[in-house]
Amino acid sequence: MPMRCSRLARMTARAALVALALVPPVVPAAAQEKPRPGGILTWFDYGDPGRLDVHAESPLVVQQATAGIYSGLLQYDPDDPSKIIGDLAEKWTASPDGKTYTIHLRKNVKCHDGQPFSSADVKASFDRLLNPEFKSPKCGAALKPMVASVEAVDPNTVEFKLKFAAAPFVPSVASAWCRVAAKHILAKYGDLNAAEAQVGTGPFKFKKYERGSVIEWEKNPSYFIPGLPYLDGVKQFILVGGPTQLAAAKASKVMLWDAWPPMRKTQADELGRARTDVDIYQAPINTVFFVYLNAKKPPFDNPDMRRAVNLVIDRQDLVAKALEGAGVPCAILDPKLVGDFALPLDEVNKAPGCRQPKDADVAEAKKLVEKHYPGGLDVEVAVRQVGNYVDRGQLVISQLRKIGIRGTMKTHESAAGYAAFGKGDFTIIASQDRAMDVNEPSGVFHIAYTTDSGSNYGQYSDPKVDELTEKALKETNRDKRKQAYWELQRYLLAKGDHASIAVGWVEGWFFKDKKLRNYKPGLTTYDNNTFMKVWIAP
Amino acid sequence: MRERPPVRRASGAIGRLVRAQPLGAAGAVVVLVLILVALFAPRLAPHGPKETGFATYVAPSREFPMGTDQVGRDVLSRVIWGARLSLYVGLASVLFGITLGALWGVVTAYVGGAADTGSQRVVDCLMALPPIILALSLMAALGQSVNNVIVALVILLTPTAARTLRSVALGVVATPFIEAAEAAGASRTRVIARHLIPNCLASYIVLVTTNISYSIVVEASLSFIGAGAPADEPSWGGMLAQGIQALETAPWMVFFPGLAISLAVFGLNLLGDSIRDLTDPRLRGGLG
Repeated sequence: MPMRCSRLARMTARAALVALALVPPVVPAAAQEKPRPGGILTWFDYGDPGRLDVHAESPLVVQQATAGIYSGLLQYDPDDPSKIIGDLAEKWTASPDGKTYTIHLRKNVKCHDGQPFSSADVKASFDRLLNPEFKSPKCGAALKPMVASVEAVDPNTVEFKLKFAAAPFVPSVASAWCRVAAKHILAKYGDLNAAEAQVGTGPFKFKKYERGSVIEWEKNPSYFIPGLPYLDGVKQFILVGGPTQLAAAKASKVMLWDAWPPMRKTQADELGRARTDVDIYQAPINTVFFVYLNAKKPPFDNPDMRRAVNLVIDRQDLVAKALEGAGVPCAILDPKLVGDFALPLDEVNKAPGCRQPKDADVAEAKKLVEKHYPGGLDVEVAVRQVGNYVDRGQLVISQLRKIGIRGTMKTHESAAGYAAFGKGDFTIIASQDRAMDVNEPSGVFHIAYTTDSGSNYGQYSDPKVDELTEKALKETNRDKRKQAYWELQRYLLAKGDHASIAVGWVEGWFFKDKKLRNYKPGLTTYDNNTFMKVWIAP
Repeated sequence: MRERPPVRRASGAIGRLVRAQPLGAAGAVVVLVLILVALFAPRLAPHGPKETGFATYVAPSREFPMGTDQVGRDVLSRVIWGARLSLYVGLASVLFGITLGALWGVVTAYVGGAADTGSQRVVDCLMALPPIILALSLMAALGQSVNNVIVALVILLTPTAARTLRSVALGVVATPFIEAAEAAGASRTRVIARHLIPNCLASYIVLVTTNISYSIVVEASLSFIGAGAPADEPSWGGMLAQGIQALETAPWMVFFPGLAISLAVFGLNLLGDSIRDLTDPRLRGGLG
């Protein structure tokens, strides 16, 4: 039986209202139409995933490439993305102290290779994700602070023991990154990187992966929900670069653009002139545009230098130009997405580095640089060659030049960039969007700000940030939790020397083909990418 | 009889050149303008080429004659600075590449034997690779920078120059004055330096002039596909690539760098053709 999670559900529902308000209403007639089986949905990945291990990787393209292959224990309802429902879980219950969750699994579920699914697969997957030695930047990073252990009680029941009662537990398990892999596949391949290892219980089977070209799924005829999926398959073209993506959209080669990178206004206008058979809409995508500094290497191992960059980065200018105004500059949490957990924007926009005009901050930043590098300094500014990161990089380099930091741009192919950043092989990353796994205030802190964050590329560590994050995570009283997150945001803004610099929350334009039915955008860019209930009208 | 002043003699020669090679003269004017723009870019450009302080996608106007781009930079300033980058890449790669290839070709032509045969097989291997693919591979291996574009171009140009100059040098080697120099006891180095190289110079000059435009196009192509100069450098090819993203919104972002590439290549080709005509006795007309 679907279960709503009280406070969180209210919060996410509010966020959903905001998000969905921006989306054109679904044509009422569509709801009354009878789903029509068949057809291939076409959309695209912004880059080549290279590796496919959904437990070990963090790029959206990895999640997109494998989304329909796996099931989770829980999921955001494809019919109402603000609601959490069971996926492999038939039902779940929490102990009165909120520290034990018992999850009852569906019976007679089969993996794509015909092997039966059981609680052993769940335990193997979550043991892997929670292994301290295993780097899991998404699901693992979110669950490790909360979960003490996972046990298979019987073949159809698993039990999660938490370290403390944690409000984000259920939404984190429902995250599209917490997928259940088959134990025998993990044993056979050791990881989930290979195309052959893509054996799950999801609505689609992995059919083909042509590097740099296309990823294809085909309908899983033995899917555990009878009658689903409606589609015969999904084809994801690997389209690198805005012009290629837009050209494919204009030529009707893709039916959906609801993933990162969003279109910019100029692109949406261009598409609108080329196609009348699509609904174009503006929406937030639960993603933060970060600038990262490497806190382990000179010059940014020096707090003064980090502070200088924090001061000089003109978030408003970057959002105005790079995002064509579609974004929320400076905010550590976006009030549009998490409501009053976010510090009021009036207060945020008075913080050093965020306040306008920038003159005083730039002057102070310049002094800090001159103190350590009287003649200025040369640095390499890295970006992955995806989205409009190169444009953003040029803007960041231009801003840094004002304080004597002379940047030279180094561009990386998408997967190579991730590998380099993960190893700390950079000085500055001028632009890296990080998407939230769940629409929950804790998400961003576990992604980019705490010592063990999955995307703490700068390897920055501040015990106070870790302490405040954990305090907020453990707090179950909503008002106190809100105050804890406000304290954390104020601390980060006031200290102003973090290696993860939030430029702003990204918004953008998207489209869907008018023939696509029952597609509801998720509250994060990762959710609702399985297309299990989507169908194509004639 | 009074001697004519040198200025009048020079202007007369230029006049005759213009009459004999009007297209070449037009090309020379374009190249001269290109060189002047490149040399005086800091004075001519109204703004810094990387200055992003303006509004984005401003259409050509009095303030911004070529408009602004997607991050708020003045396109005119970038086109002007782009001339400097293009000319630098073109000249440096051609001078190094063609000179290296020319020396290689001349020396192996004179030495002959196994050294010549072996070196020509190396040239065969290098010339068998499609130029853009080779340049792309080199850029991937070397990393993105303007100087690495030059290195890649040098590696592209050297075998072509070696093959061409070798064939010219083989003709010179067969002439009696080389035999006479050897009979007079001239060392190999002296024969190459004093007799062979000067007699191959005309072909070398033609190769240099015709390949500058080729280098500019290759640099622009590499930058266009994101494998040339770093993205923030004012490269005409890079500007084209960025302009493509807003072709309908801001066509000026593509038009002006495209025009600059076309004019530069057109001018250099016209000049190169004329120099070839002037230095080739079979094509030489009534000039002089």
